[in-house]
Amino acid sequence: MLSSHPRDPARWPRLLTLLLCLALLAPSFSLTQFNPATLANPDSWRTMAGFVAGFFPMALQADFLRDVARETLTTLASATAGIALAMLLGAPLAFATSHALQRHVLGGERPARLAGWLASLLRGLMVILRGIPEIVWALLLVRAVGLGSLPAVLAIGLAYGGMLAKVYAEILESQTPGLASALYLQGASRWQCLLYGLWPQALPELLSYSVYRWECAIRASAVMGFVGAGGVGQLLDTSLKMLNGGEVSTLLLVFLLLVSLSEGISLLSRRALASVAATRMLPALGLLAVAASVLWLWPGWRDSGFDTSAIVRFARDFFPPASDMLTEIGHGIVETLAMSGLGSVLAFMAGAVLAMPAAGRFGTAAKWLSRLLLNVLRGVPDLLWASIAVLAVGLGPAAGVLALALHTTGVLGRLFAETLENADPEPELALQQAGAGRLLAFAYGQLPTVFSQWLAYTLYRWENNIRSATVLGIVGAGGLGQQLYLALSLFQQHRAASLIIAMLLLSWAVEQLSRYCRQRMG
Amino acid sequence: MKTLKLTLATALLAVSALASAEEAVLKVSAIPDEAPTELQRKFAPLGQYLEKELGMKVQFVPVTDYAAVVTALNSDKIDMAWLGGFTFVQASLHGKVVPLVQREEDSKFTAKFIVNTAVGAKSLQDLKGKSFAFGSASSTSGHLMPRYFLQKEGIKPETFFKNVAYSGAHDATVAWVASGKVDAGALNASVWEKLVQSGKVDGSKVKLLATTPPFYDYNWTVRGNLDKKLQARISAAFLKLDPKNPQDKAILDLQRASRFIPTKADNYKGIEAAAEAAGLLK
Repeated sequence: MLSSHPRDPARWPRLLTLLLCLALLAPSFSLTQFNPATLANPDSWRTMAGFVAGFFPMALQADFLRDVARETLTTLASATAGIALAMLLGAPLAFATSHALQRHVLGGERPARLAGWLASLLRGLMVILRGIPEIVWALLLVRAVGLGSLPAVLAIGLAYGGMLAKVYAEILESQTPGLASALYLQGASRWQCLLYGLWPQALPELLSYSVYRWECAIRASAVMGFVGAGGVGQLLDTSLKMLNGGEVSTLLLVFLLLVSLSEGISLLSRRALASVAATRMLPALGLLAVAASVLWLWPGWRDSGFDTSAIVRFARDFFPPASDMLTEIGHGIVETLAMSGLGSVLAFMAGAVLAMPAAGRFGTAAKWLSRLLLNVLRGVPDLLWASIAVLAVGLGPAAGVLALALHTTGVLGRLFAETLENADPEPELALQQAGAGRLLAFAYGQLPTVFSQWLAYTLYRWENNIRSATVLGIVGAGGLGQQLYLALSLFQQHRAASLIIAMLLLSWAVEQLSRYCRQRMG
Repeated sequence: MKTLKLTLATALLAVSALASAEEAVLKVSAIPDEAPTELQRKFAPLGQYLEKELGMKVQFVPVTDYAAVVTALNSDKIDMAWLGGFTFVQASLHGKVVPLVQREEDSKFTAKFIVNTAVGAKSLQDLKGKSFAFGSASSTSGHLMPRYFLQKEGIKPETFFKNVAYSGAHDATVAWVASGKVDAGALNASVWEKLVQSGKVDGSKVKLLATTPPFYDYNWTVRGNLDKKLQARISAAFLKLDPKNPQDKAILDLQRASRFIPTKADNYKGIEAAAEAAGLLK
C-alpha cells in the first residue's frame, strides 16, 4: 500500500555517507580538543551567562564614548589610508606583471627572457605580500615601527597591495586585448597602451574591486588593535581582557554598525559605477577621504617617528630562520588544518539549517530574524569571535573551531539562502502536489539543484578558513598564530621567521591546490 | 593622480620634520602590566613631580605591549621606562640601557599562584591536567619566575597543564581565574595584594595557592645615551621622595613603594640566569 508520506528511499546511503564523513572528521575533534559536550556543560554556560549578563547596562559614560568615537574614526582612517597605500603599491606591480601588457602578448614578439624573469620575481614578491595575513603584518610592524595606527596602515597597504596587484593584473588580462594590441603595433608605448587601450574599459571593474577591498580593510583595521595597532580593536581587546561586559557590548554594537555602514557605502558606490559621471566622481571623493584620513592620523604618526635604521635592524634579526622546530611547526600546521576543517563542516551544517528560514520558507518573521542572526554572525570577524569563544570553551584550538564555525555560518547561511531563492521551485512543488511530504519534496526536488553550489561555496570558505586559522592563536586560540605571538614577545626572531615561512608555505600550497581543483572542476 | 598623492605625502613629511625640532621633552613609558587606564592614573602625580624637579616637560607614552616598550627604549623612541626584571634583561641584551632606581620592595619581590575555588586544589601538583594562565609572556612575576619555580618543582607547564595561556596583564589573570575561563594562574604579588585590599577579589571564587621565593623585579631604566647629568638628576629626584612628607607619600603610595633605592644591572643577573634556565632567552 502506498502511504502518503513514504520514507526517504535513500535514507541508508545518506546516513552512511554522513557517518563516513564524521569518521573522517573524528581525528579533528581530538586534535582540536573540541568537545561538543563542553558547550552543554553548565559551568561554561554559567561563565558565559555571567559575562553576557555583564553586557547590560551598556557602558555609556561620556569619556568612554569619546574614546570610542575617536578610535572609530582612527579605524576608518587607517583602513582608508591603508587602501590608498595598497593602490599605490598594487597598481605599478600590476602594470609590471600583467600578461595583458607584456610585449610578446601585445606585439606577438618572442618573449624577452630578462623581462620574464623580472615579472616572475615581482610575482613572487606579490605572493609574499598577500601570503602573510594582514594581522601578522600588523604584529610585525608594531614591533618594527612602534604602536599606533601607522603599523595598521602599513599592514593593510602591504597585504592588500599584494592582493590588489594580483587582481588588477587579472582584470587587465580579462579585457578584450584588440585595442591595446593595435595601439602597440602602431608604435605606442606600453604605458600608452594601458592608458588608452585598457584603462577606459577596465576602470569600472578596477574601481569596484578597490571599493570592495576598502570594505574588507575596515573589518581588518577594526581588529588590528588586538596586536596593538590602534582603533576600536584596541579598546575591545582591553575590555575583553578585563571582562568588562558593559564596554564589550557597546563596542560590539559600534563594531557591527561600522561594518554595516562600510558595506552599505561599498554597495552604493559599486552600483553607482554603472554611470559614467560616478566613475569620474568616485576617485575624487576617494582622494578627499584619503586626505582627511591622513590629516586625522598625522599627529599620532609624527610622535611615533619613523626610523628606517631601526626597521632594518629589526628585519636583520630574523635571519637565519630557526631550523630546529620542525615538530612544533608540524603540530601547528596539523592543528590549524583540523581547526579550519571542523569549523567549516560545522558552519556548513548550521548554515544549511539557517538558510531555510532565511530564504523565506517559514514566513516573513522567521526570514528577517534569521537574516539578522546571519548578519551578526558574519559581521563579527573570526578573530573577535575567537576572543569571545575562549570564554565558552576555554583557551586553545577548540575556541578557534567555534570562532570559525560562527563566522562562517553567517557567510555560508547567506550564500545558501541566496541559492535557494534563485533556484527553480517547480520540481519541489511538483513533488509536493504529487503527495510527497515537505521534507522529502525538499530533499528530492530542491536539494539536488543547489547542493553542488553549496559544496563549492563551502570548499571556497574552507580555503579562507585555513588562512584565518593560522592567525587565531594571536588571541589564544591555538595553531601557528599562538606560537608566532609567543616567539615575538620573547624576542625569538629566528623562531618567528620559521613560523612565518610555514604560514607562507601553507597559504601558498592551499592557493595552488584550490586553483588546481577549480581548473579540474571547471 | 598617484603623483599628486605622493607629492602631498612628501610635503606633509617635510613639514612635520621641521615641526618636531622643539623644546626638550622627557618621554616616559611603562610595561603594560596593568590596564592602560590604571597605568595613566598611577603615573600622573609622579609625572608632575618629575616635571617640577627636572624643569622639563615629561610626557607619558602609553604602550599596550611589553616587547614594544623594550624596542622603543632600545631605539631611543622613549627616554625612560618602568621595566620588569625580565624586560630589563631583554633590553640590556638588545642595547645599552642604565637602571637607575627601584622600589625597596623590588629587591625581595614575589609572585603568587592562584586557583579557582571550584577546582579544589591544595598544592601545585593538584593542578595537573588543569588550564593555567600566565600574565604577559614578557612578564617577570607573571611568567618567567613562576615558570622557573614550577620547573624547580618538576613541572613543565606545556605538558603538565591541559592548556597554557597568556592573559596579558596581572589584573586580567585574576579576572580570568575568577570567571573560570582558566583554572589557575600566576601573578605579581603586589597587584594581588592591591586587589585583595581594595576588595576586588571574590574570596569565594579565587584563593591563593602558593608564593614563590623572593627575587629582584621592577626598576626605572633610561636609555644608555641619555645625558649623564640628566640621569643623575632623575635618580636624585626619585631618591628624594620622602615617605614622611604627605605629598611625596601620595606619589609613593600610587607606585606601591615605601621608598626608592638605587639599583644596578648586577642585581638582575639572577633573573637572566632564570630566563636562560627556563629556555626563554634562545
